[in-house]
Amino acid sequence: MKGLKALAVALLLLAFWQAGAYSGLLDPMIFPSPSDVAESLAKDLAVGDLPVQIMFSMELIGKGLLISGMLAIITGYACIKMDGFRKIVETVVTLIHPLPGVALLPLVILWVGTGKAAIIIIIVHGAFWPLMQNVLSGIGSIPYIYFKVGDNYGLSTREQIFHISIPASAPFIIAGFKIAWARAWRALISAEMIFGAAGLAGGIGWAIYKSRVFMDIAGIVAGLLLIMLIGIIVEKFVFGFIEKRTVEKWGMTR
Amino acid sequence: MKTKRIKIILAAFSLLILLSACSNDRESLAIAEQYGLAYAPVTIMKEKGILAERLEGVQIEWKQMANTAAIREAMVAGDLDIGFMAIPPFLIGSDKGMQWKILSGLSEVPVALVSLDDGIRQLSDFGESDRIALPQPGSIQHMLLSMAAEKELGDAGYFDDRIVTMTHPDGMHALLSKADIAGHFTSPPYLFMELENQEAHVVLTGKEAMGERFTFVVGVSMDEFSKENPLWEAAFKEALEEAVFFMVENPDEAAAILSEAYGIEEEKIYQYITREDIVYTQETAGMEKFHDFMESRGYIDNLGEMGNLTRGEGS
Repeated sequence: MKGLKALAVALLLLAFWQAGAYSGLLDPMIFPSPSDVAESLAKDLAVGDLPVQIMFSMELIGKGLLISGMLAIITGYACIKMDGFRKIVETVVTLIHPLPGVALLPLVILWVGTGKAAIIIIIVHGAFWPLMQNVLSGIGSIPYIYFKVGDNYGLSTREQIFHISIPASAPFIIAGFKIAWARAWRALISAEMIFGAAGLAGGIGWAIYKSRVFMDIAGIVAGLLLIMLIGIIVEKFVFGFIEKRTVEKWGMTR
Repeated sequence: MKTKRIKIILAAFSLLILLSACSNDRESLAIAEQYGLAYAPVTIMKEKGILAERLEGVQIEWKQMANTAAIREAMVAGDLDIGFMAIPPFLIGSDKGMQWKILSGLSEVPVALVSLDDGIRQLSDFGESDRIALPQPGSIQHMLLSMAAEKELGDAGYFDDRIVTMTHPDGMHALLSKADIAGHFTSPPYLFMELENQEAHVVLTGKEAMGERFTFVVGVSMDEFSKENPLWEAAFKEALEEAVFFMVENPDEAAAILSEAYGIEEEKIYQYITREDIVYTQETAGMEKFHDFMESRGYIDNLGEMGNLTRGEGS
């Protein structure tokens, strides 16, 4: 029911948009009509580089998130083990998290060039810090009494981490990954739009940039819609799946 | 509840429409150029107040923008009346329906693809992983590179996957630091600065690629502006002519003005602007060839026969 309503609102908006374009009130150079956008998207998907570009972008995001995730697990583990280390990590996160990836780009290009590695570094920078911050908040939010109970059961440190720390902070970690996913996209698109194709056909950011320089406004909107579409699919299927298997199963959220 | 929601949606849409229909009621004349020696007469015109003299009481806004796409977008939005750019981006805009025309040519300058790699002497020497920096796809540099690739390697799109977009200064630093790119397709003064490096050599010149002389920068004005302010436009054209004349007649003085504006030594600037291969002229050359090549590659497809793209010729 709720989904239907949302769909109706979306359709109504689209209808208005199309009507505006049809009546000539919206200048197609500024607001391309939904049909133009759909046409552009269909054409790029069917005969253009777009499928390759989607795969390319997803590959970089996947790698970036994997690296961020592993770094966060290792750092998080060390934080649980050593309280002093955790204080240091907290400070570093506060210091570096606000730096925009694009501002680091000139340095990154000097270090590793403009290839895939540079984009992955920018993605990791975008994704790791919010993830880390959430992991730290997650760990910090666990009631101390849980560990006391664990002690009473005679759990080892390893068991404490896997049976108490991780499950108890899972909602935070999942939320962290969701933010990391969104940040990874932002980082990827900005990096690609700034220095172009890192691989053969480049990714979606490069596609949007190319649409811009060739004044294909419908192509720009199509690229943005595509990113949203991928976002919805991943939210629904990947994160939905993980949540069902973890926090929902454990009765932590509904 | 439901009507309220619809009202909100309607309000949002009328706002969008209002925004898009925002007309341009400026009392000023806005002009945008980019950075480089090819734009020197514009700088002279600005610094010497040549245009201001002719348009007393009119506020003139000079903008320097980082790339053509930004200038084009600002012109669509009505923020700019006159913009300077190369012929290919102009053609792309016209093809997509921009109501504008070429007002005047500005300059012919040498452009070239430079490499520091001793093994790269011609286009076929670039390897799979060698990347070439240029300002943006669809730029004059990109078109020249594609033309040469078609001629020498049989495939105009040969380098399309190996292009890195960089502004001229960034490209120069990247090339000279040998960090990342194997070639840089650039224009003066960056071209001259790069060639001062002992290892730097030219792999391809714009002339070789094009096969004939061509205008590097043209001045473009919006149709609406031209219709509403014909006197301003005429004054601008005259001022441009005067600036070009001034540069030819007084290269010393011009070099002094440009040196201050660009932060390059006066002597060097003097050498640059008096070179034989740098010509400031209001003529436009090479339109036909760019048009035909871009049409054959599918970069433009709605322009049909050329014509009516230059102001004053039956417009």
